[in-house]
Order: sequence, then structure tokens, then C-alpha cells
Amino acid sequence: MHIPDGYLSPETCAVGVAVMVPAWSASGRRVRGTVKSRYVPLLAIGAAYSFLVMMLNVPIPDGTTAHAVGAVLIAVILGPWAAVIAVSTALAIQALFFGDGGVLAYGVNCFNMAFVMTTVGYFLVYKPLTRYVSLTSARRAFAAALGGYVGICTAALCCGIELGLQPALFHNAHGQPLYAPYHLAQSVPAMLLAHLTLAGGVEFALTLGVVAYLQRANLPILRINHGSVPETDAEIVIAPRRVRWWWALLPIAVMGLTTPLGLLYNSGAYGEDNPKADTAKFLHRNHLTAIPAGLNHYANFWHHALFNGYDFSHDKHPSVGYVVSAFFGAAVISAALLAIFGVVRLVRRTRGLSEENEAELQAVGT
Amino acid sequence: MSVESGALAPDWLVQAEVGLCPCGCIGRRRKGGFVEKTLTGAANVMRQAMFGDEIAAGPGLLQGLDARVKVVTLLGLLVIAGLAHNTAVLLGLYALTFILAWASGLRLAFFVKRVWLFIPIFTGIVVLPATLSIITPGEIVVPLGHWWFGQPVGITSQGLGAAALIVTRVAVSISIVVLLTLTTPWPKLMGALRALRVPRLFIQVIAMAYRYILHLLGSVEEMYVARRSRTVTASSDLKAGRAFVAATAGALFGKAHHLSEEVHQAMVSRGYTGDARALDSFGIGVREIVWTAACVITGCAVLGIDRVIGR
Repeated sequence: MHIPDGYLSPETCAVGVAVMVPAWSASGRRVRGTVKSRYVPLLAIGAAYSFLVMMLNVPIPDGTTAHAVGAVLIAVILGPWAAVIAVSTALAIQALFFGDGGVLAYGVNCFNMAFVMTTVGYFLVYKPLTRYVSLTSARRAFAAALGGYVGICTAALCCGIELGLQPALFHNAHGQPLYAPYHLAQSVPAMLLAHLTLAGGVEFALTLGVVAYLQRANLPILRINHGSVPETDAEIVIAPRRVRWWWALLPIAVMGLTTPLGLLYNSGAYGEDNPKADTAKFLHRNHLTAIPAGLNHYANFWHHALFNGYDFSHDKHPSVGYVVSAFFGAAVISAALLAIFGVVRLVRRTRGLSEENEAELQAVGT
Repeated sequence: MSVESGALAPDWLVQAEVGLCPCGCIGRRRKGGFVEKTLTGAANVMRQAMFGDEIAAGPGLLQGLDARVKVVTLLGLLVIAGLAHNTAVLLGLYALTFILAWASGLRLAFFVKRVWLFIPIFTGIVVLPATLSIITPGEIVVPLGHWWFGQPVGITSQGLGAAALIVTRVAVSISIVVLLTLTTPWPKLMGALRALRVPRLFIQVIAMAYRYILHLLGSVEEMYVARRSRTVTASSDLKAGRAFVAATAGALFGKAHHLSEEVHQAMVSRGYTGDARALDSFGIGVREIVWTAACVITGCAVLGIDRVIGR
């Protein structure tokens, strides 16, 4: 995954550095704040460790080798921000001394392997999966390994996209690519295939093995980043999770914003056609010669809908009608839900089961 | 440093495995497991690092330059190589790196081996399929039949041009980086980066990590020797090998952490407060000015010729 110099245009490399500078600065600040003056030797250890992990190459049949990066492993042990700096440092030493990864492409390589891999693997996979999991639980080791796998595959996807964009953006008048020659359709599958199978597997096995070993043999190392996590499952206290009502707005907002996607599809859904709107099409689609009598009778039983056919302007402005219908529908459903919540709350209050009492009861119960 | 590293890497580890007759008439040919191969690779890393220090300390054109000037100018040349779009121009730039290597007292065979050993040859193999019309459409110069959905397939002139361009550019880029690292001692390179306003945190971490790598490699090697000396069976057990790798990696972190605690205490006892000072002895003289001017002229000439010849 180490992109050498010459594969990427200087413009792409500049973007990579521009993205990484704030990430490095934020990581530096965070690390300095958490481990005080101890951070330098600790980060150096992380970097040396990452370097050694990247040297552990596993041969692949096509003549190249796959290696783990260890970014998520270091994030689990030293914390995600330390991992960003540690992996960046390892990449710097590799680029300068061993020609593994370019000097100009350094920012892009750091973006893929230090930033994307760590943040995706740690924050999107490891953290959510280990919310109420003890330090010695097998689930924690598995979550770390899965984080490593997802992280390295996401990093490979980014790498494939960066390489695949080159021929489209940078080519001469004869259509000759000036940098990496493979298009997105070739570079992304090539990168993903190798990493979903081999490199991802190596990363998974290494992370699982090391975290499981540390759980068994050297728990204080895992304490560096997991100060207050209980050691065994018995000590875990699951705080009652209150799901606030406004979380419901999030999926509604997402669906609302994606409403215009429906405009891309013109034809109606199968089985929902109005047989009288376009009879010939309906008959042809369903291999019929006549509309069934029952369907014919009840098809237009109710035709007083406000937005009939998700439209109100009789097809003069179908797009506007569609979007307005969508927002009107969402508003009605939200109002209905709020009304239901209100009624439920009222009923609970009148029964004398206020939320505080409920929490107390739960605490006594556990 | 070289004495210490020498003690870490015994000769038998640095040497490659003895290649006996492949037909099996002399003894039994042993295939090293992946653990062993990794350790051999590690030994190579150390050898390169040690050898590099010796060259960087020797006399030569680039060795005599101020490290800051060298970093900035060679980085500039790297960008120029990235911006040049003509293979002939890049070949000229490649010839220039040869002259610089010769003037810096590098053995040319070593220089070529160091540059071409892995990346450019690897690049050549990787871009080979890109010469086909399936990937880079264009004017077919070597027809190869009609096996792709009945369409004519062949090597296109555009594809060949792209492959030549990328391999040359990769070779030039790596040559420039190798020139920089082979002719600059590690502490000077770090000092130059510090002078160029790279945050102190990163410089300290890089400088310490470089030393730790050598130290940790020694630890890994010791663990491996300890393990082998306790192993009776000759055949390698893959499952046990994997468990050993995971346990070694885990134990290594424990050792490394212990080391970092000791180092930190040693640093604090010597007055470390989170800030580091370095003895930077930089000086810009006539040599640096001439060199910078030469680099600027070369850069402008390369880009100018690149435009004139056409992209």
C-alpha cells in the first residue's frame, strides 16, 4: 500500500500533505495533553513497533508480499492519536531509508495508513463494539482484530481511489496517462482484492494474537489506553441508556435529504401499478388479457388523496410535487410520533412512574 | 554505533542461508520459515543502516553541503521530476543523479542496485498490463489477437509511453531520495528538518524511533534464538510459528514499554522537561550558493525543455 514517488501527481501529493497537517497537529496536541513529558519515548516505541510490524511480509502468489500495518493495534494500546503519529513516523523512516513509500507521496501514504486506518478501525469499529466489554474479554480482542481488518481495507480503498483518479485527471493530448495508468475500475478492485483476503487476514490475525496475548500475559500494557475499564465481566456496570427522542430526527433527516433519489426512477414499483392509469402497460407487464374484475372494481375506490400519486399540480411540476409530498409526509409522520410520545409520557406520569423512580428501581434491581 | 550494531547482528544472521544443491544430492535443502526470513530481512535493514552511516561521513560533493540546503534543493528536484511529463527529459535528470552520485564518492554499482533493487522493477511488472489496449486505449503497435470480447487487443503506443514515463520517474525520484539519505548522517538530517520548522515532537520521535528499531530488532533476534535453542524437532510447525509470532509481538511491546519507561527516567534525571536542544552547526557559504543556483537553473531548464519538446 506504500505509494512510491512518481505514481501520484505533485498536485495530489500536495492535497495529501494539506489534509494531514491539521491531523498531525491535532494528534500532537492530544497526545501531549494525555501523557505529558512521557509521550516522546512512548511514541518512539510505537513508531519502532509499527516499523517492525510492517517489515513482517507474508508472500503472495503473484510475486508481491502483503504486510500488516498495525495501526489499529497501536491505537488500542497507546490510543488513536498516538497511533497517528507513530505510524506516520514509521512511514517517514521507511520513505527516507528504504525507499518504501515516496517522500512526495508521504502525506498521501500517511493519510491512508496512519489517519484513515486508525480512525476507521478505532472509532468506527473497535470503540462501538467494546462499549460494555471488560478488559480481558475475548470480545475485546476480536473487536480490535475486526477494527484492524476494516481499517486496512478502508485504507486500501482510499489508496485505490487515489491511484485510480490519476489517469482521469492527468493525461496528455494523446490520452497517455502521466502518472499511475490504471483507472478506478481496475485500481480499486485490485487493491481491495489483495487487502480483503491476504493483508486484511494478516492484520486480523496479528491484532487478535497480540491483544489476546497482552490480555493473558501483560495487562498493564493495555491499561495505558484503558485506564478505567473493569478487568472482568463481573465488574461491568451497564448504565441505563436513555435514548432521547431527538435521535429519531436523524434517520428522518437522512431520508428527507435523500428524497430526490426517488426522481431517478420513473416507473412505478412492481405490483403497485394503477391498472386504469396505463392499462396496456399493466396487462403486458402481468401477462394478462383483461383487468381482473375485483381489481377493476376496487382500484380507484379512494381517490380523494391530498397528494394523489405524490403530486398536487397534475403533473405540471412532477419533481416539485414529489419533493413537497415527501416533506409533507415526513412532517405528518413526525407529528404523529410526537403525539404518541406525548400520550405515553402522560400515561406514565399519571401512573406515578416518573423517570427518576424508574432509574432508582433499576439500580436496586442490579 | 557501528560497534554496537555489530554486536547485535552476528555474522551468521547477516549471511544468507547456504544454498545446497537443489537436486538433493548433497544433504537436505532447508527452506527457511517466514519467521526466519523476516529476521534475515531485519538483518539486511541493520546492514543498510550501518553501511549508510559510513558513506555519509565520507568526503564528497553532497556530503560537504549544508544539510538544510541539501534537503530543500533535492526536494525541489523531486517536485521537478514529478512535474516533468517527457520521458527523455526524465532520462536526462536520471543521468544527472549519476553524476551527483559519482561526485559524492558513491560506488555506481551500489547506487544502481540500491535504487533499482525493488521499487522500479516492481513498478515495471505492475504497469506491464497497462500497456495493453484494454487498459490504455490508443494506437495499437503490437497486435495480440482478438481475444477480448472480439475486439482487437495489443500493446498501444500510449500504453508503452505511460509505462516508460512512470518507470523513469520512479527511478529518478528514488535516486534523489537515496542521494539525500546516503550522503547525510542521520543527526544532521534531523537537525536540518528541525531548522526547516518541522515540529520538535516529530523530530524527537523519529530520532528515538530510529534507535529503538535497532534495539528492538536485537530483542526479536534474541527471542528467536532462545526459542530455537529450546526446539528439538526439525520440521516447522506453522501453527506454533504463528502463535510464536503473536506472542513475540506482544512480549516485544512489553519489553519496549519497559525500555521507554527507563529511557524516560534517564531523560528526566538529565534535566529533560519535554523540550530538546540539538547542536546544529549549519553554515551557508559559497559552495551552498553555487549549488542552489545550479539546482534552480537545472530545474528551470528541465521544465523549459519539457515544455518545448512537448508533453
